[in-house]
Amino acid sequence: MDPEMKNSNFSEIITLRPLEVSDVDDLMVWASDERVARFCPWEPNTKREQGLDFIINRAIPHPWLRAICLNGKPIGSILVTKNSGNDACRGEIGYNLAWEHWGKGIATKAVKMAVKAVFEEWGTELERVEGLVDVENVGSQRVLEKAGFYREGLLRRYVVFKGRSRDMVLFSILCSDVENCSL
Amino acid sequence: MDPELKIENLPQITLRPLGVADVDDFMVWAMDARVARFCTWEPYTSREDGLNYIQNTVVPHPWFKAICLNGRPIGAISVTENSGGDACRGELGYVLASEYWGKGITTTAVKMAVKAVFEERGEKLERVEALVDVDNVGSQRVLEKAGFCREGLLRRYVVLKGRTRDMVMFSLLSTDVGIL
Repeated sequence: MDPEMKNSNFSEIITLRPLEVSDVDDLMVWASDERVARFCPWEPNTKREQGLDFIINRAIPHPWLRAICLNGKPIGSILVTKNSGNDACRGEIGYNLAWEHWGKGIATKAVKMAVKAVFEEWGTELERVEGLVDVENVGSQRVLEKAGFYREGLLRRYVVFKGRSRDMVLFSILCSDVENCSL
Repeated sequence: MDPELKIENLPQITLRPLGVADVDDFMVWAMDARVARFCTWEPYTSREDGLNYIQNTVVPHPWFKAICLNGRPIGAISVTENSGGDACRGELGYVLASEYWGKGITTTAVKMAVKAVFEERGEKLERVEALVDVDNVGSQRVLEKAGFCREGLLRRYVVLKGRTRDMVMFSLLSTDVGIL
């Protein structure tokens, strides 16, 4: 079981833990919000069944997906993909946060916690965590910069979602960039 | 059937599908350690492995061509095809027998391949990208000469022969191709 991670610098406690079916109503708060969905490949959820489907079929089986909790209540989610073979040295981070909690440094905190956790849990095989951010998603670019990621470049017309191709900024953080790296 | 593709500046260079009949020409570059240096594979040692590769990887591949000099294969070039939200991009790869390095042949083959895939895939494909080992300066020059943009250095991106490598990302867009 993953231990809850706490940061005593926050007067409000941010923790990461696995998502459960019982979190569906909290999940729907951000999953139904078009401001949250804006730079995501998915459309805002309109039915509770979609939230349940996500938790059961995507979140629970995922190699590394956590609820971002504020004082124990899920207000977002964060994940790191796991690759195999020659690609196992890198994982890709992704996250969502309920609109109400934007602008307080919570996503930055969650990213730092997630990066620390995967570098510890996946051992020497994982050397790089990367993030791809829409060029227009300035808020998320700032989250990764504040979390210590390096901006490596702009990948032009990299991916299509919601009907058009996007320029994506590529960020990365290496195990050797993070304090107390085991490598 | 794929037509042979020709270009003005090096008329003897053509691209065509690679088949099992080409295995002996294939083995010339596939056995060469200089060619294999920045590739994921070790130099081939058996003709049977060459046949298996052509049969199982090359023939079913969405876009894989022999680079021919006066009709004879001296290398190969390929572009991947993705699905869903990734269909707007394809990844380029190529090898050339070392005897023919330094003559602009690969640059020509890259220009021909890019032109062909943008034409064949239409509006669906917007980007051809290539990832080159940071130490593979020769290949970086090929892409620069072919008009690709260097987008950045991706640190510790992939494992090659047991070591994690920094890779340079290059891309060419369908909207860039007017320059060629």
